[in-house]
Amino acid sequence: MASWTSRTLSLVSWLYVVVIAGLGLYAATLASSDLLTILVAVTALVVASMVGVAASSSGNRFTTGLAVAAAVPMALGPSDRVDLGGSIAVYGIGLAIVWAVRYSRGEGHVDLLPTLVRRFAGYVVYATAYSALRVGPFTELTGEWKDLFPFGAALAAWIGVEVVLRAVLVVGKRELSRGYLARSLLHDLNVFLGLAMTGALFGELWPAIGWWALPIALLPYSFAHLAFKRFQQTKVTYKQTIRVLARIPEVSGLGADGHADRTTELATAIGKEIGLGPVQVEDVEYAGLMHDIGRVSLNEPQILRMGYSDDDIARWSSEIIAESPYLSRVATHVRHQYEPYRKPGEQTDPDVSVVSRIIKVAAAYDWQVHQDGLSPLQALENLHAGAAYKYDPEIVASLRRLLVSRGVLTPVRV
Amino acid sequence: MRGWFARLRPTVQRRLRIAVPYALMGLAALAVSLYLSGPPDWGYWLPFAVLFVLLEFFAVEVNDRMLQSSSVMVAMTAGVILAMRPGSDAMFGMALMGALALFTPADFKEKRWFQPLANFGQIVTAGAVSGFILDVNLDGVAQSTDSLVLVLVVSAVAALAYTTVQNVLVRRAVKTVFGRDNLEPWSQMPALFTGQVTMGILGGLIGAAFLIADREAIIVFIVGVYAIGHLSLYAFAQLRDSHLGSIRGFVKTLEAKDMYTRGHTERVALFAQMIGEELKFTGTQLETVRWSALIHDLGKLAVPTELIRKRGRLDDEEYAEMKAHARLVEEILAEVDFLRPMVEIASNHHSNFDGSGYGGSGHVGGRSPRVEVCIIAVADAFDAMTSARSYRMALSQQYAISELRRNSGAQFDPEVVDAFERALAKTGRRWGAPHVNDEEMARRLAEEPELTLRG
Repeated sequence: MASWTSRTLSLVSWLYVVVIAGLGLYAATLASSDLLTILVAVTALVVASMVGVAASSSGNRFTTGLAVAAAVPMALGPSDRVDLGGSIAVYGIGLAIVWAVRYSRGEGHVDLLPTLVRRFAGYVVYATAYSALRVGPFTELTGEWKDLFPFGAALAAWIGVEVVLRAVLVVGKRELSRGYLARSLLHDLNVFLGLAMTGALFGELWPAIGWWALPIALLPYSFAHLAFKRFQQTKVTYKQTIRVLARIPEVSGLGADGHADRTTELATAIGKEIGLGPVQVEDVEYAGLMHDIGRVSLNEPQILRMGYSDDDIARWSSEIIAESPYLSRVATHVRHQYEPYRKPGEQTDPDVSVVSRIIKVAAAYDWQVHQDGLSPLQALENLHAGAAYKYDPEIVASLRRLLVSRGVLTPVRV
Repeated sequence: MRGWFARLRPTVQRRLRIAVPYALMGLAALAVSLYLSGPPDWGYWLPFAVLFVLLEFFAVEVNDRMLQSSSVMVAMTAGVILAMRPGSDAMFGMALMGALALFTPADFKEKRWFQPLANFGQIVTAGAVSGFILDVNLDGVAQSTDSLVLVLVVSAVAALAYTTVQNVLVRRAVKTVFGRDNLEPWSQMPALFTGQVTMGILGGLIGAAFLIADREAIIVFIVGVYAIGHLSLYAFAQLRDSHLGSIRGFVKTLEAKDMYTRGHTERVALFAQMIGEELKFTGTQLETVRWSALIHDLGKLAVPTELIRKRGRLDDEEYAEMKAHARLVEEILAEVDFLRPMVEIASNHHSNFDGSGYGGSGHVGGRSPRVEVCIIAVADAFDAMTSARSYRMALSQQYAISELRRNSGAQFDPEVVDAFERALAKTGRRWGAPHVNDEEMARRLAEEPELTLRG
């Protein structure tokens, strides 16, 4: 079943590549720029897309090709109008080549089709809007600032198309809600904007100072890129460190082995399923990893003699987490993880965040399955029994959907 | 005349010794630049001044007390534009821009007076110096692409001057006022320097391109791209602090178990850093030593508390158990790529210079361990002697040093011990109890607390 889907998908993707390349070639016949210019632009686009990858935090992938793409309508054609045919030709042909190469390398298998559609549609909207606005309403405006309006409006349209299509065209990954996908793209807007602005910078400077425009556009971009990369690297290392620290109580026999890792995996999946944004999903991740980190205090003989409660562990965990300024929110989420999701007589407890509620459900499920040896169905039923006071029913429902889609749980039909 | 000055607290004295000359220097630089150069073209000056102040205001702390911002780029853009335009000069304009950028948010929050004064002197002087360079070389240069090479060279020189003046003045101020042991290593210095000069060159080119292309709109894109880079840098700085913070959280938990070891890790990290700096370590090497010190005892987290706190010597079985537990934690910590070199150093801190003793991964019996390992060993031993234990009082620094020296060559690396002695002498601070000069006495004092020292 799965292989059938992916085979159909890859066939359709190839068809799309051919269609997009064909559209590009057709557009080339409408182009006013000469063939050499178009070929140079296509080469630049392909090279930039293959060389400069600016991956972003929540899994969206952007390349420097985006910057070249943004520059193309500005740099092609005479100064008073835009060579729309040429611009679309460059992008269509370039995109087809890039994806053919990528596909032959075995990258982006399932995601290929929706990404292709999204990219091409977004770009066509951008180039069309830019060219229409350049000769349209803004010609009345005078001064050097007028160039900004067509670019700004066209860029906004491009982003709009990308976000909408990102949410609408979901293939495969049923665990991710549309809300999460759209929000993750908005979350990565800084990368998108940075790339587009670099392109625009080049496009604006090119007519006046020629190739000097290249270093001037590239330098700020590479600075931004370096800063971003350093941030990403630090983040990866930091997460590794946190994971390892979380395992210290586990390997010391003070907690259940693998509990933190499994809870985190389940909790982030729930977070994405109910449509939290990437920022909150990241909070869920940190909170999941560290929710039981306070167990490291448990080899204190005095504590063992006096006894301790779940709430004590939550307190110790959150005290350790609070040492990191970046994680102050997470410390609060972890502090409240053992509290019921609502107060008696009230609908909810505003102090208990959605992150705390997710951790509570995921941790309880994992504990029952892996420590108490219950079956997934039994564990889920226990959570359902506690829903409406201890566990948030919406999150338990999301957990059930997740377990069903993973095939862990077969619903009993009566 | 000097009476009132001597009555002030030493910290205030040190601050005044920097703040007053710096502020005077800033005023002098303003006066000189007003004398040497004409006024800037105010219409061009104002937007850049606003941008400059904003960037300085939101500077990112990349190193302890060392702020980085892309303001140098704005300064150079403005400088080149002001210098190249006919009837306008850069020197006074750049100095004045600096004068407006003396406050940071922390200054308001903590009601500081010293930092703004020192910053005033430092930024104004740097601005005046680089403005002077730009004025001399770029006045009346043709606004065409032919001048771009000249602009590139001149703005490189000006940016170099700007960054050098700033760095020299800031380092001097920080060293005088905060002393050495409050400073984190300046590990990113070379990278910082190249970054600032590159940004300066870029700023200059943008300024020229701005005049040549005659398009104001490009500034919006430049600022946009920079703002994004700046945000990432900001997030990076925050995350880096958190990384340390998480390890510290664990260290605190570890030390909370035993009141006698409280603060031990931070002190060992400080001593290790002092030795590293004395041995001319820089950059990653220094940072590695510091991190190794911070994690050198994390292995104990897995060791049952009775074993850690046990009075007297452990028997062989207990000793083996302790080592096994500690080993477990070290093995997991080594799974983090970034921590692996530090774990290797930290896990060996009980191996001796002559190759004896026990060690963790990478320890080869009979061979001297790496110098980093020796540093942690010396720092650890020194702090163990100069702080109190359940069975004895803290020993004096003098005794601890003589003990280190007695064992150097066998247990400790003689070079490291020498370096530590020199570093300790430089700080002028004394550790440990003042008069406790032998172990016997320290033990007796701990058993009979009422026996206090009387000369």
